[in-house]
Amino acid sequence: MNSPFSALLGNVARHRGVIGSMVVGEADGIIVDANLQVGVRGEIVAALAASLYRRARLAAHSAGYGSATFLQLEAEEGRVCVTGRNDLVLVALAEPRANVGLIRVELLKGLETLS
Amino acid sequence: MSSPDLIRRLSDELAQDPQSLAFLELGETLRQQGERDLALKVALKGLERHPHHADAHDLLARLHVDAGELERAYDEWDMVVRLSPNHVGAQQGMGYVRFQQGRLAEAEVHLSAAASLDPNDERNLSALEYVRIARIDAGEVSEGDPMNSRLMSTQEMPVIIPEAAPPPAAAAVHPTAVTPQSITPQSSAVQSMASGAGNVHPAAVFHDLLAGGDQAAILLDSEGLVLAGAYPGADGHDVAEEVGAGLSGVSEEAERAMRHLGMGAWTSLVFETEGATLAMAPGPDGGLMLVAASRATPLGFVRRLLERAGDRARAWIGAEARP
Repeated sequence: MNSPFSALLGNVARHRGVIGSMVVGEADGIIVDANLQVGVRGEIVAALAASLYRRARLAAHSAGYGSATFLQLEAEEGRVCVTGRNDLVLVALAEPRANVGLIRVELLKGLETLS
Repeated sequence: MSSPDLIRRLSDELAQDPQSLAFLELGETLRQQGERDLALKVALKGLERHPHHADAHDLLARLHVDAGELERAYDEWDMVVRLSPNHVGAQQGMGYVRFQQGRLAEAEVHLSAAASLDPNDERNLSALEYVRIARIDAGEVSEGDPMNSRLMSTQEMPVIIPEAAPPPAAAAVHPTAVTPQSITPQSSAVQSMASGAGNVHPAAVFHDLLAGGDQAAILLDSEGLVLAGAYPGADGHDVAEEVGAGLSGVSEEAERAMRHLGMGAWTSLVFETEGATLAMAPGPDGGLMLVAASRATPLGFVRRLLERAGDRARAWIGAEARP
């Protein structure tokens, strides 16, 4: 079944190194729609990404930086990119070899769909 | 002669004789005036006519350093050494680049070579000693490790301990003293290592890495308290404590996320906001390195700044820990 986010998630997932893309509720970390490769623990990723984004957004706001627009967490074996709007966050989970510049552009384009 | 007069004279000389080596002095003068683009044109034009002139490559290397293009600078200095194996400035420059990149062993090799070529220059010895201590602090070598001295090939070289070195520390980190324009392999680049960051006021540790007033860097300890750096607020007051307290919790969240996802240790976190781009990475001793820049600053530059600030923080912490 197609959701309003299916095309968006497909566009993100098409990028090299992306192993999952999701739309998640920021407050509860529950998946709204997802495009995941087999083996990706979507629910855990969703909960953690939403929590991290919420924390960063609040910290940025309280530090006087205004709203957060994009977040990227890099680790030794992968990266998580998140952007959000209207209580929804758009998440991409990627391997280290992924081109983060392209993913970032795709996620920011996708913000319109979250509106 | 004033700089404009000198520039005019050198330009005239070059116009009359395009083969003249005046481009070296002209390029360096423009560079010191902050006219990097012009200096770059002069250097490249000069190199077209004198592709095997070591000092021309040296000039280009320093221009690359000014632009933060460290690997390019290294390549140019490498070329200098091929053309002129005893070029002290090139060895210093390559040592500086490798130090900035955190490749301490290689920095040590180059600075060792510089010290061997010019053992009377105290800055070489002090820089070498500083890198050696940084390596020990980083656990790359242990004190008294015979490999240590073999690596440096300087067993016979007298080592000047930082305490005995001249005190350029404040100058080495003061933003006006070490702007990118002033970095030369024979001056501040070496001094900034030789000075030993431990002599520097904590608030000034990152000053020379920042390109302007819209950038800030702070090092937080494991409890979110500011160890080094400063964050000037809109009214000019340092608001590092407030910003640090607000953002340090984010790193705990990142750590938690990575633990659950099994993606290894987190290495950096970048987030863009309406007002600024913030980047953080794990700091020494469980701390957190945080840099901030205006949205106008390219994202790649912010990440680069984070890496360099992290290197500086580790060196500074190491120097602070020394008795």
